[in-house]
Amino acid sequence: MTDEEIIELINSSLAEEFELNMDDMVPEAILLDDLELDSLDRVDMVIVLENAFGFKIREEEEIRHIRTLGDIHQFVINKIHLLEATA
Amino acid sequence: MTETAFNERVLSGCGERNLLKTALMNLTVLPALVLWTILVILISPLAYLAVRIPMRWSTERTIRALIWIYGRVWLFIAAPFVHFTREGFGQCRAKPPAILVLNHLSFFDVYFMGALPFSNVIFAIRSWPFKMFWYTPFMRMARYLDVEKMGWEETLEAGKDALCRGSFLLFFPESHRSRNGQLQRFHSGAFRLAVATGTPLVPLCITGTDELLPPGSLWMRPARVRLRALSAVDPRPFSGPSGHMEMRKMVKAVMAENIAQMRHEDGTTRGRSSCLR
Repeated sequence: MTDEEIIELINSSLAEEFELNMDDMVPEAILLDDLELDSLDRVDMVIVLENAFGFKIREEEEIRHIRTLGDIHQFVINKIHLLEATA
Repeated sequence: MTETAFNERVLSGCGERNLLKTALMNLTVLPALVLWTILVILISPLAYLAVRIPMRWSTERTIRALIWIYGRVWLFIAAPFVHFTREGFGQCRAKPPAILVLNHLSFFDVYFMGALPFSNVIFAIRSWPFKMFWYTPFMRMARYLDVEKMGWEETLEAGKDALCRGSFLLFFPESHRSRNGQLQRFHSGAFRLAVATGTPLVPLCITGTDELLPPGSLWMRPARVRLRALSAVDPRPFSGPSGHMEMRKMVKAVMAENIAQMRHEDGTTRGRSSCLR
């Protein structure tokens, strides 16, 4: 899976779950202010990402520091690369 | 006279009548609501004792009953200009404890909760209604939940506590009023609480309050308002980490279907009744 494909899957999964406009799914979009994803939505967001990519991330500390959509992209890309390296 | 000319004349008369009715409504209903609110604030200590002593209710339960009565009187005040109907409460099996979810169209949605057949309802709402200082003490005493200020974990605990004490807990899952009448995105809070506590969830659909007070308008208009209770949803089949999300989607789909049906029925009825009555 390329980085572009990962980003595409993240954006489409979140857009579908949270009824977001794909035009708003830019890396600099701030989750709370621009996409209106509150703390409870973040819990759902983790479930959506786990279901989309088949990994478990809910216990990871880094999740708590995510602020923008770009942070999610980078987090998931790093996670997948790490999983591929250790496979 | 041709049919078109007749229709134009009828519609023109209808427009003038509606204008007069709208003016009369704004000259009477709003002042009546303000007076009723002032009166309630003034007599609330006596009303509190009059309800609490014979009923032996707690303070919070008593205040919720008073708020419900306040809403009931609002229905009476608005009745000359608002054709209100309530439906489905006989079949929905809404028994406490239960979670209620209501679509959100207008500031006045809350007032129509005076039409619920039960008074022990805790509203789980955003922070801004708590800023209406004339309501704030009552909302605090009734233990309404400020979900925006409390955050999710605290809301979950307070919600569990309220349900344990046999209350109804009402959420607006859209969080904000809809500006275009369409259902907006549903937030997960109510559904997560339902799944976490195994509490039935009763969807409530309201239509017409956006016509009563259109978004961005300061003027009320005569309207037909309907409040429909749908069958209670059992959360038990929605298990697993994403169970509440599945429940949320299912409930939203059912509500959207019912709201569309109610609007369709009202559109045909309103067209006939307002102009040819």
